[in-house]
Amino acid sequence: MALNPMDIYKLLPKTNCKKCGEATCMSFAFKLLNREKKLEDCKPLYEDKKYERQRKKLEEMLKPLEEATETGLIVDESLCTGCGNCVVVCPVHVEKDPKGAAIGNGPTIDDPILRVEDGVVRVVNMKACRRYGKNRILCVVCRENCPSDAIRFLEG
Amino acid sequence: MMRFSKFLKVEAEIIVARHALVMDETKSKAEPVIFLHPEFARKSGVKEGDVVEVEASGRVVKLRAKISERAPENGGLIPNGIYASYLTNFDSFKRFRASIEVSEGEPTGVEELLGKIKN
Amino acid sequence: MICPGCSCLCDDVHIKEGKVFNACRRGEGIFSKYKENRAVARVDGREVDADTAIEKAVEILKDSKNPAIYGLDTTVVEAQKLAIDVAEKLNGYIDDNSSFCLGELVEAVLKGEVPTATLDDVRDNAYVLVYWGTNPYHSLSRHMSKYTYYPRGKKRPRGYDEDRFLVVVDVRKSETAVLAKKNAKFIRVDDDAELVDSFIKVIDGRAAKYAKEAGMVINEMKKADFNVIFGGLGLKYGLKDLNKFKEMVKKLNEVAKVYFIPAGFHGNMRGFNETLFERVGYVNRYSFRDGRSDEEFSFTELLKNEKIDTALIIGTDPVYSLPFEVSSKLGKIKTIVVDPRMSFTARIADVVIPSAVSGLEAGGTMVRSDGIRVKLEPLEEREVNDVYILSRIKEGL
Repeated sequence: MALNPMDIYKLLPKTNCKKCGEATCMSFAFKLLNREKKLEDCKPLYEDKKYERQRKKLEEMLKPLEEATETGLIVDESLCTGCGNCVVVCPVHVEKDPKGAAIGNGPTIDDPILRVEDGVVRVVNMKACRRYGKNRILCVVCRENCPSDAIRFLEG
Repeated sequence: MMRFSKFLKVEAEIIVARHALVMDETKSKAEPVIFLHPEFARKSGVKEGDVVEVEASGRVVKLRAKISERAPENGGLIPNGIYASYLTNFDSFKRFRASIEVSEGEPTGVEELLGKIKN
Repeated sequence: MICPGCSCLCDDVHIKEGKVFNACRRGEGIFSKYKENRAVARVDGREVDADTAIEKAVEILKDSKNPAIYGLDTTVVEAQKLAIDVAEKLNGYIDDNSSFCLGELVEAVLKGEVPTATLDDVRDNAYVLVYWGTNPYHSLSRHMSKYTYYPRGKKRPRGYDEDRFLVVVDVRKSETAVLAKKNAKFIRVDDDAELVDSFIKVIDGRAAKYAKEAGMVINEMKKADFNVIFGGLGLKYGLKDLNKFKEMVKKLNEVAKVYFIPAGFHGNMRGFNETLFERVGYVNRYSFRDGRSDEEFSFTELLKNEKIDTALIIGTDPVYSLPFEVSSKLGKIKTIVVDPRMSFTARIADVVIPSAVSGLEAGGTMVRSDGIRVKLEPLEEREVNDVYILSRIKEGL
């Protein structure tokens, strides 16, 4: 399910018009994935009717990106049963919530990274996640212990 | 993928298990679904979303096929519920053999099964 | 709040500003949808008021020659006790879902035939965790994260990848089997009896089909002083004879400390087993007129063999969950359904008595799968609940 720049590039105008501020459409595709640019920055896509089909496809493709957090973590709620593995196994939770999530209960701290709400897991405070920020590390513990692959990390 | 024939019946191993994503606590509806292993689906020409006829113990229901790697490799999984109960018996409560065939129309409605118990 | 959704009976659920915290998908569904598809009092399809329905039920039960009471695994111990009183007054039969579920294994636990422990003990101490014929991901969703594999424990402070060893036994690669990665083993079996036999043979130093797998698990178990097996429906139906399984557990305990905890689904199945056991010395399928328990007195056998003329069905949905060869007989007898919802059985029942959702609209005691008793405090109190209904029926008889 990982989006790659090529898939996006194929649907762009490919004219290198530079209206988005990038030198090439390929570069724009990369920046889109990194969320440094928004689809709306590509003016021709929105102003020229001949790109309507492509624009719609791109919007569909990029939808999960909108929902993704800074850490590139998305939860597919349709697969989530609220088992809580991700909440309990998170090393940050273990450290910060030793009497709560670390021992299997719902988080007792106000700002956990993840929490089961309304029966599915939701991101609450992604800043605390080890994948975020200057000293980010490639922690994948929550994804590794999700029995239904409901948690995905975006590439790029 | 070329389907050999619409009337290709394939033998399958079916297991019955709870499925949290299709359980309805309110009992207002029952989900007519069967989860087929991708290998089995490929072999039998069933695509995601197809309606299939599942026959076991001389009884038949139509269910909507979904693909899942969690199903047994040579068959499928039917969630606990009125459809599984209709097909199974206590000897083989959680695991039985059935034949599966791509079908047309809509999945069997609950009313039809209720009618077989009391009309 | 305590969630009554399954035998985990999670006690850390709370509701704030309409949002349900910590309950799994199924549990949350109970809290957020408890007002949906409610049962409506009916007699022969006509809508009546609850008291009329109760009176009609009493009338039918009085006229009945062979009445049976069935269900009770989703209601509180206080109601289960009343149901047993009613069965006694009727000189009839009483049974719950455990007679085709894990009754035998719960009985073995209650009689001390297999050693058992609490889930809190498991969290603090257990090294090898065996999930045999159960897929908690769907049936007991928080089991592994709240009690067993994932939480840190007093003697297991380093977490699942260093301090625990997960073993999953199943006929297919379930979601739980997917989790058996590092320091873990998924044993795919076609015939559970062969694996049970292999464990026994390996301890005796003999060859066996699954000698490698069983040997490996036993070696891991020997490393620690606390290991546990959770058995579910897959185990029960995978083995024709559960005695062999009990023998295996005893044999394992010759070489390592291994406990057994039943992984039953229903919130208060163990409560019924314990309550009936205290009363008559049996966990299920009891006949008051015969003064004993027997397979022939299980609700499913009675119904299949057309031995009863009336069924009082409490908090369960046999049309939905019993095989057709059994449920099809429901149309031939008088059925009285006591349920908060318009279940599938209620839709064909002769009498429907609407009740409260246990744990949300009615308080009481439930017993967790490991035997720990919990007291449920409801969100609101509904007058017509299982205890009220069963008391009225008992008075009327």
